[in-house]
Amino acid sequence: MPCLVALIVFGIMGIFSATQRALAKEAFGCVFRRITFRPCNTSFAEKVKGKLLAKVLKRSTFLAKVLNKYYEVFSWIFFILMVGSTIWVIRGGFNFYVYGSCNGLNQSGFCAFDPSGSNNKVTAVGDSTACGITPKTEATVTLKGVDLSGFPTENVTGKDKVVFIGCYACDYSRKAYPDILKLVKNKNATLTFAHYPAKGDTTFLGEAGYCVNKMYPDKYWDFNTYLFEADKNYILDKTNLDSILSSFNFDVKIVDECANSPETKNAFDNQVKELDKTGLYGTPTIFINGKAFVGPKPYRVYRSAINKYIFF
Amino acid sequence: MLNTKKIRADFNILNGKNGPAPIYFDSACMSLKPNQVVEAMNEYYFNYPACALRSFHKLSNKATEKVKEARQIIAKFINANSDDEIIFTRNTTEGINLFANSIGLKKDDIVLISDKEHNSNLVPWLVLRDKIGIVVKIIPGNENGSFNLDNFSKIIAGAKIVSIVHTSNLDGVTNPIKEITEIAHKNNALVFVDAAQSIAHRKIDVQDLNVDFLAFSGHKMLGPTGTGVFYGKRELLEKLQPFMVGGDTVEFTTYDSYKMLPIPEKFEAGLQNYAGIIGLGRAVKYLSQFDFKDIAEHELRLNTYITEELKKIPQIKIIGPEDQKLKSGIVNFYIEGTDMHKIAIMLDEMANIAIRSGRHCVHSWFENKKIYNSARVSLYLYNTMEEAEIFIKNLNQIVKIL
Repeated sequence: MPCLVALIVFGIMGIFSATQRALAKEAFGCVFRRITFRPCNTSFAEKVKGKLLAKVLKRSTFLAKVLNKYYEVFSWIFFILMVGSTIWVIRGGFNFYVYGSCNGLNQSGFCAFDPSGSNNKVTAVGDSTACGITPKTEATVTLKGVDLSGFPTENVTGKDKVVFIGCYACDYSRKAYPDILKLVKNKNATLTFAHYPAKGDTTFLGEAGYCVNKMYPDKYWDFNTYLFEADKNYILDKTNLDSILSSFNFDVKIVDECANSPETKNAFDNQVKELDKTGLYGTPTIFINGKAFVGPKPYRVYRSAINKYIFF
Repeated sequence: MLNTKKIRADFNILNGKNGPAPIYFDSACMSLKPNQVVEAMNEYYFNYPACALRSFHKLSNKATEKVKEARQIIAKFINANSDDEIIFTRNTTEGINLFANSIGLKKDDIVLISDKEHNSNLVPWLVLRDKIGIVVKIIPGNENGSFNLDNFSKIIAGAKIVSIVHTSNLDGVTNPIKEITEIAHKNNALVFVDAAQSIAHRKIDVQDLNVDFLAFSGHKMLGPTGTGVFYGKRELLEKLQPFMVGGDTVEFTTYDSYKMLPIPEKFEAGLQNYAGIIGLGRAVKYLSQFDFKDIAEHELRLNTYITEELKKIPQIKIIGPEDQKLKSGIVNFYIEGTDMHKIAIMLDEMANIAIRSGRHCVHSWFENKKIYNSARVSLYLYNTMEEAEIFIKNLNQIVKIL
């Protein structure tokens, strides 16, 4: 067992150091002889053991005695720990590739919000269970039972379905939006967009977007893209809305009337309520063929989701 | 009595100027080199790095002169009849191979060797056995590792060669070469002596011992690595057919003939290790300033202390005779069921003590005795009693945790 541990450890270290490479070679020879039912003839394990024992013996005779006696047991423990940590590292690498974070999905930044208001609860000191906050994960975010028919959708015949729930004021949404457009274009996917006012007062932009989609569906996506790409402070200033609308040659008056009408406000509220059914807890929340991603991810993560490289 | 403090000052690694000195107990494998030897070699490389014996310019003449001087020093050191009897080799192993392959053995010729020969004095003969069908016979030794002259006398008849180690690197026991030679010569056998371990520790007088051939290495006698000497009586050397020939071994050649040079050149094929040879000459000169009796006395004092202390540790078994007087500067020991590599590494890690572990190139003996391996302490003129005490202290600590 010590030889196997040494082979792996020195094998990895040997990538960077010729000295360790020689040890890895010796360890390999030892392992190879053992798996071919021959005794290890290089005393490699004993040499390694000797080095370890000497270091411990310089500090404590008792510990050295224990290590010498239970060396094989310690070797097994370290082997299991090593295998475990290796798996963890590989999983981390996989997570980084497909989710953009070594810790897995839901570990990057997003615009958090608390629609239920449960974060404002006051709990007794020492009663950690009474907080009432249940940590949310992407696994609980779903499109099941959510009616998306009222939201703007392009390329409805696309094989892959992408739903982007974002907020114009959310930097994370603004970061993810161009990648989603690129993904939709490259993969010829269907894109549904929903504005969720997660940060600041952006309801007026959502309502304006609702009306633009209703009245100028051909220009809606250009308008939407503009809202994500233009200067944030500029678009969030309500006094600039008319200028923005006029820059797209919309009839400002009609759009304003539509946006301020009770029907639109009611419809927009209903859309937000519909989005709440997803269980989302931050923006952007992106569904790719039903799988949720909260927060911006590297482009490869979205591509992997469409290519079905995500296994867990 | 040796002045070890003064001696240690000559060794860069031991004089403390370059960090803490190691406790070097592996001189049977490789001795340390005094600064004088290194300087002599440097002088060659810096000041006259030319071919010896070939060209006629001043640099070459200087190199030739220095090589000649080294040959003379060595000839005098072993009391050879003439400088020509000194042939430079790379080491003892090369000397033995040169001898074994040049003596002209034929099928069924008998070669006698002892039961604890270094692989260098075993394998060449076994290869010749497989190649041309010589017969290799082992002279059974005494239980305590000493040479059994009776056993030898019983099997000497008919033998052509007796190839025997002088001092064993296994247990430090020195064989009675003078008596062996006498018996061998009475039976018309030639005697070759492997003096690799003895040359640095005792006075060797080839005329007094009356050996026919003898080989030793430079690296065990304070000299550079890659140097050695093969000695032979002139009349016998002249009869040998060199097995390695080429440049520097011939007087002249035509497209279909050659004329060999006389000894020693006919055995020294190709460009030689001049720096090494000059360094070896300097090492011998350095060694010659000491009385070998003092060296032996010093080694015995340290060996006695170490051996007596080892005897107090019940787990330890010492290889060879109980009496340390018979063992030169070597103490070889093992612990049943313990890989001695581990012990050697621990000593090195704990206290910078360098000893040799393994089978010491005498695998045949270990196989025969069913001993896995051993740890060998080999002492020399630069070792001190303080070092021996540190060694014992650390070994005791190690044994406690086994």
